[in-house]
Amino acid sequence: MTVSPSPTMELVPDEADRETYYLNMGPQHPSTHGVLRLRLHLEGERILACEPVIGYGHRAHEKMAENRDYLQFLPNTSRIDYLSGMIYNLGYCQAVERAMQIEVPERAEYIRVIAGELNRISSHLLWMGTYLLDLGGLTPFLYAFTDREKILDLLDYVTGSRLTYCYGRFGGVTMDVDDVFLRNVSDFCGYFEDRLEEYHKLVTRNVIFRHRTRGVGVMGEELGLDYGVTGPCLRAAGIARDVRKDEPYGIYDRLEFEVPTGANGDCFDRHMVRMAEMEQCLRLIEQALRGIPEGPVQAPKVPKRIRPPAGDHYFACESARGHFGIYIRSDGTDIPVRMKMRTPSFANVSTMPAVLPGTMLADTVAILGSVDVVIPEIDR
Amino acid sequence: MSGPLPPPAGVTGSSEEDYAARGHHHRHEAAAADMPGVARTFRDAGYHLEHLTCLDERGDEEVGAFTLAYQFNRPGGADRHLVSVRLDGGRPAVSIAAVFPGADWYEREVWDMHGVPVEGHPDLKRILMPEEYSGHPLRKDFVDEDPLRHQLSGVVVEEETDEEEQP
Repeated sequence: MTVSPSPTMELVPDEADRETYYLNMGPQHPSTHGVLRLRLHLEGERILACEPVIGYGHRAHEKMAENRDYLQFLPNTSRIDYLSGMIYNLGYCQAVERAMQIEVPERAEYIRVIAGELNRISSHLLWMGTYLLDLGGLTPFLYAFTDREKILDLLDYVTGSRLTYCYGRFGGVTMDVDDVFLRNVSDFCGYFEDRLEEYHKLVTRNVIFRHRTRGVGVMGEELGLDYGVTGPCLRAAGIARDVRKDEPYGIYDRLEFEVPTGANGDCFDRHMVRMAEMEQCLRLIEQALRGIPEGPVQAPKVPKRIRPPAGDHYFACESARGHFGIYIRSDGTDIPVRMKMRTPSFANVSTMPAVLPGTMLADTVAILGSVDVVIPEIDR
Repeated sequence: MSGPLPPPAGVTGSSEEDYAARGHHHRHEAAAADMPGVARTFRDAGYHLEHLTCLDERGDEEVGAFTLAYQFNRPGGADRHLVSVRLDGGRPAVSIAAVFPGADWYEREVWDMHGVPVEGHPDLKRILMPEEYSGHPLRKDFVDEDPLRHQLSGVVVEEETDEEEQP
């Protein structure tokens, strides 16, 4: 069933036959990937209006941050987005490090790149598998999860957890990696390069997949600017915007990688951008593996009491879903006055009332899935 | 990328910030009523809204009010502007959702979490908490009255000397 929204398709002209109704998609719906509710106003199967209802996964992380010191908040960070928890965890560490001006040893910076990029691949793999499930293709899920499991095993080996990592520390990482890990990561990179080609054969070149995603759910440049869309969704619209390039943190300014972009901003382009990003992740990991120096993984002199200077602090990093920012207002004490998490999915999903009207109900799943929402990350 | 943006009309007290230490390039103060105009200036210069949030600084002797923090940035060359708006005398915030539709949800969050009304918002209602909820959780004086829920307030931090360092 291929239904593309086109501006020439007008609503049914006969007013007498018009019948509209409301439909709740979610909060318990397999393709909202968590508890998101879309309140849809429909005419037949065409969407007239959409209102996302969020908050079902609200855990008050920002309130918790105001009631504990900076170190105590560390385990919370990987729970914000449990699919790329490493990036959030390390991002928070870097936010505090910037505020406190803590120098991180070289080896730790390289480990952070390896761990963060591995996590990004695992997040994109999960997205690809479940997205195809949403569209009715069961096979890619099995492939994607096999590979994702390999990454989780690698990260489990160094961090001790599968998803909710607490690997970062202010001034470095908890534990050093050994040669076994580095060799295994290197082996994985070689293996995964071939697998990516298989994914293109299995998914990208699948004619049903192409029909269901091309020209569907276009999120253009203008929309991106209006709503503050970031990450693969913005890049699919042709804007090469990536925090790792725009304001490099860690050692990203020393590593070579490209920012893949699309042209049309449709679901298919978002898929292609993520596929190309996985390739770039491999490039980054391989460079980090080649360049990783010997040395400590923890800064030698980290103040025992973490008290960032009074004032406003901000740190942004590129998560698997886009611009993740941490805004900290400190009063110079152990406990932040305010900690705001600027999460990418919040902005990305707020575009749905603008994107969905005019499309067909069956495409809702394709469009929402392609945005790659993680509900706890929206709700925090 | 175009050159640096001159301080937008309507802001008072602009200053340069140390990006390497703070993460912001510029900082401005503005009045709530001027925010739509300020946002428009940023929008016309190709900036987008990164986020906006509220701080409960009523307990702060110098401020004594809610403050809003807006962040604008542009694609490509990072140039982050922080605009701070003090809501003196319990004045409401003024919506910029007409300029940046993305501000809609952030302003609802400000209302939901801090109970700060936003004038001119198209549909101001709770966003994260249930509609029937009472209270605004991110206010500093918020007390969770539900005895079944975990009490968050009352954490005591012991004083300790600063000079100790990790081994």
